[in-house]
Amino acid sequence: MYDQFETPEPDEAVKLALRRIEESTARGEGSDVDGLAFNEVVVNMGPQHPSTHGVLRLVVTLDGELVKDVIPVIGYLHRCKEKLAEKRTYFQYIPIVDRTEYLASINCEWAYVMTVEKLAGMQVTRRAEFIRVITGELMRIASHLVAVGTFTADLSPLGTAMVFYMFRDREIILDLMEELTGARMMFNYYRFGGVRYDLPDGWVEKCRDFLKMFPKKIKEYEALVDTNAVFLQRTQAKGVITQQDVVDYGITGPNARASGIDLDLRRTRPYSVYPELDFEVITAQHGDIFDRYRCRMDEMRESLKIIEQCLDMLPKGPVQLGSLRAPYVITPPPGSAYVGQENPRGEYGTYIESDGSRYPYRLKYRDPCFCNLQLFPKLLSGNKIADAVAISGSIDLVLGGIDR
Amino acid sequence: MDILVDILRAVLFVVIAYAVVFVAALVNIFYERRFMAFIGDRLGPNRTGPQGVLQSVADAFKMMGKEDFRPLLADPVLFTLAPVTVMIGAVSIQLVIPYTGGFMATSLNVGVIFLVAITSFTTLSILMGGWASRNKYSLVGALRAAAQMISYEIPMLLSLLIVAMIVGSLRVDVIVAFQANYEWIGFYAPFTFLMFYIASIAELNRGPFDLPESESELVAGYATEYSGMRFGMFYLNEYAGLTIMSMVAVTLFFGGWMGPWAGAIQFWGIEWIGIFWFLAKTYVLVSALVWIRFSIPRLQVDQLMAFAWKILIPLGLVNILATAAIILWVPSWKWGLLVFGWVSFFAFVGLFDPILKRRLRKQRERQPVVSA
Amino acid sequence: MGLQVGSNPMSMDAIAALLVERFAGELDDVRIQEPDTVVARCTPAKLKDVAARLKADADAGYETLNWIAGVDRGTSFESVYHVYSWKTNTYLELHVDLPRAKPEVDTVTGVWPAADWHERESWDMVGIVYTGHPDLRRILLKDDFVGHPLRKDYVDLAENHPHV
Repeated sequence: MYDQFETPEPDEAVKLALRRIEESTARGEGSDVDGLAFNEVVVNMGPQHPSTHGVLRLVVTLDGELVKDVIPVIGYLHRCKEKLAEKRTYFQYIPIVDRTEYLASINCEWAYVMTVEKLAGMQVTRRAEFIRVITGELMRIASHLVAVGTFTADLSPLGTAMVFYMFRDREIILDLMEELTGARMMFNYYRFGGVRYDLPDGWVEKCRDFLKMFPKKIKEYEALVDTNAVFLQRTQAKGVITQQDVVDYGITGPNARASGIDLDLRRTRPYSVYPELDFEVITAQHGDIFDRYRCRMDEMRESLKIIEQCLDMLPKGPVQLGSLRAPYVITPPPGSAYVGQENPRGEYGTYIESDGSRYPYRLKYRDPCFCNLQLFPKLLSGNKIADAVAISGSIDLVLGGIDR
Repeated sequence: MDILVDILRAVLFVVIAYAVVFVAALVNIFYERRFMAFIGDRLGPNRTGPQGVLQSVADAFKMMGKEDFRPLLADPVLFTLAPVTVMIGAVSIQLVIPYTGGFMATSLNVGVIFLVAITSFTTLSILMGGWASRNKYSLVGALRAAAQMISYEIPMLLSLLIVAMIVGSLRVDVIVAFQANYEWIGFYAPFTFLMFYIASIAELNRGPFDLPESESELVAGYATEYSGMRFGMFYLNEYAGLTIMSMVAVTLFFGGWMGPWAGAIQFWGIEWIGIFWFLAKTYVLVSALVWIRFSIPRLQVDQLMAFAWKILIPLGLVNILATAAIILWVPSWKWGLLVFGWVSFFAFVGLFDPILKRRLRKQRERQPVVSA
Repeated sequence: MGLQVGSNPMSMDAIAALLVERFAGELDDVRIQEPDTVVARCTPAKLKDVAARLKADADAGYETLNWIAGVDRGTSFESVYHVYSWKTNTYLELHVDLPRAKPEVDTVTGVWPAADWHERESWDMVGIVYTGHPDLRRILLKDDFVGHPLRKDYVDLAENHPHV
């Protein structure tokens, strides 16, 4: 009989947190004069918590306002994506990849499709490459808008206004994508060797309108928070990711670049037509919350630049290999391949092993958020709760990608 | 017979005070949501009734229909008592506030002190609720609330002292009468008003000082474990507080119910037009509160405390000394106050932000660059 | 001076030759996978030592662990380590074969801190035991889950996940 008043047994993570408190007490590192740690409480932040952006659960040990220890617990959104790959053909699996990191799903598709193309040794048509870059960069902007918007919403009610501005402008991108792919979030648009549809009539002009309008909007966002003393006070010199952390934990994306490392797979491991495009890798120096925010804002500008160049250079030709039909069944030769792709959050890649059949033998995701989240215990400990929330917002996690 | 009239009077004013609290809360919730939507470039609630004005009523009914749930381990007495007592502050403050000429519950001879004393009652309720809930978020929220509200009561008291010094009385109706002919204290002492206003935002637990219930950190702060109408009481109190605090500010600083033709229509000894002016002034201040909430990011606990203890309280003390000196020694002290008030106001407003930003810039320059 | 990507550029052949020379007898089957990955094989007994030396290597220091994948090979298990060299801007894919009866390998968390969660995930999904891991709990599945779902012989039973 289910008893609603039964106090559940604490799970492994909570037990671990309690054990760590006991250990630190035994070592005499308690918080009060006698060295007893009775001031420390273990708090479950999440999985239903307003600022965890999904179903992340942080088992936080608090000493008053101070965060002493953090144990992230993940898996609440686990949908067995790697297991599903065993029973899906390569082609059937494309829409499932969409659902891993749902804020930039087209970039995830891109990584998967590239891996399969590498495995099968397929070429991509040139027009399709440009369309891939355009859509990928559009989604990068959309994803950064959500990232920055929700981060400011974590900081304050001002952010609730900001997040609505950002979602308002993200709508334009989603409308563009909808016209192109027929979907607003889960696109299922890339195909092996190309993309599903060519650009519809008038799409390029609409995209150019967006490019013309959007820089003004970025200025508007920056005017809201960049000079706000409270915002600066709350973001500067907090949550610093050192370069050693980046090396140790494999931090990638804007989080690494904010620490002054020009690690951008579009540059360091060029794929698609990025070598032909002129863009800067945005870096910052201090590696704190503010720099991560700045990196994202500037990256949006760079993405606009890239899209503009692509629209100018867009060649004519087919968007699919050979016939108009996509290759529904492909059987790559036995072997393994891994391709990393610069997702808005960092290096997103898929490792696929093929045994020569129609199904992937083993498919493994390399998810940027999974790696970035590993740094949390180190990054959040020693901060105040409010800072911890701001820091976790600035890291920009998507739980769909972490839990898979 | 007189006793009967007095009892009737008392009942009437208590009913009015409760009505004001409930109506103000419902109006403010709707008003803030629409205002916030306007700021955020959205529409806001616009479906229930014309322009959505009935949205709050619908919400209130929804809230009443919800399950009245109490956690098993919560302290049953305090848990129940907290939402019941939370309204006491908002209701009893009104007993010394004149709604309009001749329409006031009682003219206490310690009116201003009563105001400050009764405001702190809300702290007690919040602390009770947070403690009794047996929830860590609630506890942290309640302790934050207690620390914050007690800290900000001091600058509030300091600014109210100045009002009392200028007027020479603690009676609220005397303070209003002093401000006849538009000699509003807010004009004499704008800096004092600013201090009062900042402190009252903190007292109301509103953004940017909404730490006790900062949703991104503490879920719902002290109200986390409350549901249904118990939560509704906290919620109503919070939003009624907007109006009540603005009423206090208007009464003490902006001439209360006085305005053009305030006494044009009079019967039963009440100046009816005054109510209009009173409400109009109040809602100007309420709008400002909403605007501030959605323009300034939330502070952190340490920053919040530092702002009270390191900035507001020293400035308040200096302000009191200077005002006392002017009243004592300057012959035409009203002019002296006017000059001092505006100089200090512009000095604070003009210098605070640049100094803070300069400090931040310096800090930024000193901040070490990340390296391997 | 910040961390640079590709401060010591080398050709893939040179890296492969370097690995063959410096890790003779430890890394077998070294081959190049275009465009930027060297694939090698290692025995579980030597892994920890090899990992430490790979990280400390002066010319091609593989300092960052990218990911670990556990693979079920039918007769054996395989733990795949994908590591990144900042100096040469290339990757190394290290395959370690483990017997199916006793899939145990030393942890590399001491060498690459990032290995922590990846090893947990590999244990969770494939059931490879990383001996010496500081906190080898399940990560994506519930604590009371029974079995390792990415094994090819895993059969999904209702008893396996009591809390769903």
